[in-house]
Amino acid sequence: MSENIVGASNDHDVGFKEQERLLPIANVGRIMKQIVPQNAKISKEAKETMQECVSEFISFVTNEASQKCRKERRKTVNGDDICWALATLGFDDYEVPLKLYLRKFRELEGEKAAANKTKDQEEDERYPLKFGFIGSSSKDFNLRTFD
Amino acid sequence: MRQAGTYSGILSGGISGKTGPHLLPLARIKKIMKKSGEDVKMISGESPIVFSKACELFIKELTQRSWMVTMQGKRRTLNKEDVASAVMATDLFDFLVNLVSESGEATTPLEMDTSNYS
Repeated sequence: MSENIVGASNDHDVGFKEQERLLPIANVGRIMKQIVPQNAKISKEAKETMQECVSEFISFVTNEASQKCRKERRKTVNGDDICWALATLGFDDYEVPLKLYLRKFRELEGEKAAANKTKDQEEDERYPLKFGFIGSSSKDFNLRTFD
Repeated sequence: MRQAGTYSGILSGGISGKTGPHLLPLARIKKIMKKSGEDVKMISGESPIVFSKACELFIKELTQRSWMVTMQGKRRTLNKEDVASAVMATDLFDFLVNLVSESGEATTPLEMDTSNYS
């Protein structure tokens, strides 16, 4: 039985917006289940409370990170800013696993970029300097040597 | 999920090697980040990625502490009061104190909703 009974259409709108500011309960619940023993149960309300806490966590850390960016006159909050904010706010235990995670992600991105680059390189080797005039087919120019 | 193309390899558990789904939706994380304040103008592509891991760690830590409260009460169901207690007992989670107080966690056993256990 759902506790959030959707009645009038404006309730539906509110409900929809509510969902947007929270992470999905299924995902949150799955992570919680990884911690408790298999025969343990987690109440729906506990999951909902956790959803609220996570959103608050994101806001809390993002605020700290964005303030740093503002002070440094940077427009974009990046991964390192998030890591810095977490350490500043006391979540320094997260620093090592996060940096590892970020490094692996960047490696993956690098591999992807390299894979795409290889494709481009192969083409270039077949058609060198395709945009340059030097090396264009001679029919484009009347090459005459003056002895 | 809309960002499946770029991150699908990671999302299927590639990075951490885990087989189960453990990541959180990046688009949603980004939305929540954007709503957190007026200062937030632009967010790099990797920020939600970092947060998905940070949130996972956060959920695990808070769950761990909450479960300890559950066990102290010799129960097998983790309820929201346990989460509130864990928040109160941990300095690191001070920023959540108002949040868990608002949800009215001080209920007696008679008032506990027992119909929504997973």
